[in-house]
Amino acid sequence: MTALLVPVYRQPPAIYRAARALRRFGIIVLVLLILYAGSVGYSAYEAAHATVESRTLTGVLVANGNLDIGGSFTLSNPGIYPIAGLELAVRLANDTGVHLGTVTVGPDTVDGGGTGLFLISISLPIAASSAAESLLFVDQYIEVNAWANVTYAYLFPLSVALSETRSWGAPFEGFHATVGTPTLVNGTIVAPVTLFWANHASFTEQGAISFVIDSASGAQCGSGGFSMDVPPGSVYDQTQGVDLSSTCSPAGGELLASLTVEGSTTTFPPEPIP
Amino acid sequence: MSAPAPAPTAPTPEALGYRIPSLAYRILVAALRLILSFVVFVALPVAVLAYVHSRGVAIPISIAAVTTWGVLLLVLTAARYILKPTVAYGPLSIAVSGVFFAYLYYLVLLSPYRFVIPGGSASVAAGYSEFLEILMIVPAVEILAGILTTVEDAVHPGERLPFDYPA
Repeated sequence: MTALLVPVYRQPPAIYRAARALRRFGIIVLVLLILYAGSVGYSAYEAAHATVESRTLTGVLVANGNLDIGGSFTLSNPGIYPIAGLELAVRLANDTGVHLGTVTVGPDTVDGGGTGLFLISISLPIAASSAAESLLFVDQYIEVNAWANVTYAYLFPLSVALSETRSWGAPFEGFHATVGTPTLVNGTIVAPVTLFWANHASFTEQGAISFVIDSASGAQCGSGGFSMDVPPGSVYDQTQGVDLSSTCSPAGGELLASLTVEGSTTTFPPEPIP
Repeated sequence: MSAPAPAPTAPTPEALGYRIPSLAYRILVAALRLILSFVVFVALPVAVLAYVHSRGVAIPISIAAVTTWGVLLLVLTAARYILKPTVAYGPLSIAVSGVFFAYLYYLVLLSPYRFVIPGGSASVAAGYSEFLEILMIVPAVEILAGILTTVEDAVHPGERLPFDYPA
């Protein structure tokens, strides 16, 4: 008789099954998310140790009145998740805090296990009295502020702000032009003109420097030119005689030099002649 | 005179097809589970936070907060397990999931995690709110399950016991 009292359910009640299904669903979601979080953590750990493989500035030259700095960096992503929406902005300021220019990269994506090559290009106008002019002639520290935004593993946005100073070697550090005392040579007035500077940049300077010697009244007394092939770390110190007009005195005037590289000319600041 | 009919007796759980572990056994199992949960919810996070803090990096949440939330979750989880055969199981399930949900929401409010890399040259802001918002599905679902269990226990007390504790 007792057996007749046992309420044997072949199948649990609907409300029980619903609650059980919800719990199982929650557990499955939890396990999946824990596995996902664990893999993201491992992947991020891998990526953090080998993200930037190389960082080089490959080209620096002066053209069109600009100081063009070109370069690239390689971003490797050894993790399993993509680095998406990569955007980079870099602001440069000279050692007096004057803004020089801004570089932007992206948005771009580096897939998991992939490598991205990003090109950087910034053109700094070096016209007289411009903020970048001092970069040609004065070694200094450049203030670099960089901001990067990425989304890692689809769900984790990451913002990085970097601030640091980089030493800058001027390509014409200590540029100095002097006009010596004119002398009479074979009936012609000749003045020795000397150009001096040190190439503290990382590239070889190749091209020509032409110059004009003006009197105090603005009359052109003479002109000449130098060719240059100056490796990094070298000093340029050359002198040549310049024929001067017999009716023109350079004293109190100025020397105007122009740099020509690959067909483009940049005018240097005038050098006063004592 | 016929013999009086025997007084009706309530069927035993075994007769009903289930067997509830003793209170002492449930307390013992809950304590063992507590150890594992303590490692996951308290010891491990606190160890990570302490390590990060020792490296001079600001931590996103205080160690005291992690400990408080973790211990609260552990106590409620242990109580739920011990009281699973009773009608308190449903409300305790809701309470555990509610606290877990509130814990996750508290963490969402702390996102993004901002810190400065030692040396001061770089600062990082790491967002994790989207992940936590997805994770909040888990306690939300558990709350629904707790509500269903509470209703079931109110309407049909003991109906679930043969399935929770099959003999």
